[in-house]
Amino acid sequence: MSIEPIIGQYVTVKVAGTLRRIYFEAAGQGRPVLCLHTAGADTRQWRHLMNDAEITAQNRLIAFDMPWHGKSLPPEGFQTDEYMLTTEAYIETILAVVDALSLDKPILAGCSMGGRIALQLAALNAERFSGFIAIEASDFQPAWYDIDWFHRPDAHGGEMGAALVSANISPFAPEAERWNTLWMFMQSGPGVFRGDLSFYTRDDSLIARLGQIDTTTTPVHLIVGAYDLTCTPEDARRTADAIPGATLSVMDELGHFPMSEHPEGFRPFFIDALARMHASHSKAA
Amino acid sequence: MIDIFRALQEQLNQTPHLLRLGRLFSETVLIEVEGQEFYLTFEKGHLLDIAQGPSRKTPWRFALRTDADALQQFWQARPAAGFHDIFGLVKIGRGQIDGDILCLVKNLRFFKEFMGLARPKTGSAA
Repeated sequence: MSIEPIIGQYVTVKVAGTLRRIYFEAAGQGRPVLCLHTAGADTRQWRHLMNDAEITAQNRLIAFDMPWHGKSLPPEGFQTDEYMLTTEAYIETILAVVDALSLDKPILAGCSMGGRIALQLAALNAERFSGFIAIEASDFQPAWYDIDWFHRPDAHGGEMGAALVSANISPFAPEAERWNTLWMFMQSGPGVFRGDLSFYTRDDSLIARLGQIDTTTTPVHLIVGAYDLTCTPEDARRTADAIPGATLSVMDELGHFPMSEHPEGFRPFFIDALARMHASHSKAA
Repeated sequence: MIDIFRALQEQLNQTPHLLRLGRLFSETVLIEVEGQEFYLTFEKGHLLDIAQGPSRKTPWRFALRTDADALQQFWQARPAAGFHDIFGLVKIGRGQIDGDILCLVKNLRFFKEFMGLARPKTGSAA
């Protein structure tokens, strides 16, 4: 029996004029690293890295559940609203959390839609961060599926979403972590995965902004798994090529949820990414 | 190929959790392998019948069309990227899925795990 070092707390911030009670977890000390979960999931995706003593010896990892996700409640009145995540609301939420937690230029690490918004912030609000780790992130991914499948009264959107995203998990992933990863999708609230996918599959505004990212002051490193059918290595390569100075690592045996589906396999790539942030930051300084 | 589907039928009968997941699944699925048609008729999660085509009279709900080599790679314990999932086959241009896709998606875990039954047990892909 052991008690994990992860500490969970709540903070209330204002986004789009309304209060959001946000759950966040933190572990470690030193350089702050703000971690963003994927669509349809929550902070638990980061628990393996947050429990990694070698990583947390010099990095303070902070992860939060987006409103509607995990232990963060939707805002008052959600019962009559249609949840559709937008780039603007996503950015406002992240910056509100950075302010509320007094994070001084954290590294921003995001996966999937979290990686997409990390690149948006690299383009639009780089001065608030010291570097960006964009995991399974690309400029734009139109949906080959109908996002409305995942919010309908005659079927369980969470179970369908989990079955769909299982296509993005590597067969090298340990069985237990494959299913822990899928469980989060199964638990996702009604319409939440759909609302996240709306942002991910319909907003292509990042494409025109990639060229304005300045990696000399804020390094950008992309990481992509070969088994990711959603953001393929080709998608990540195209995106990295459009960002002057960005770097890319391809993980041959991992998929779309690397920190969650196969933590041991992802670990060296994340440590390498953190080192790139440090090296580039020092060089720029 | 039909021997493999018969083996899948047998394995399905010995996989209680899939029979439970498929308890509301009573449909005919067309699997087409290099033009050869196989009509798999499920009844409440059990695979009742495997009929070889061609047939213009057999209604089916959704279809997976692929080639024999792609299926052999799909049935590896740890398939190469793209061959690890039925939608991966589509993504890499080695498969086509058509028909009532929503019906497939509603029963996606059941159908993907059914198709994966031919994999050696050491694999974790579904």
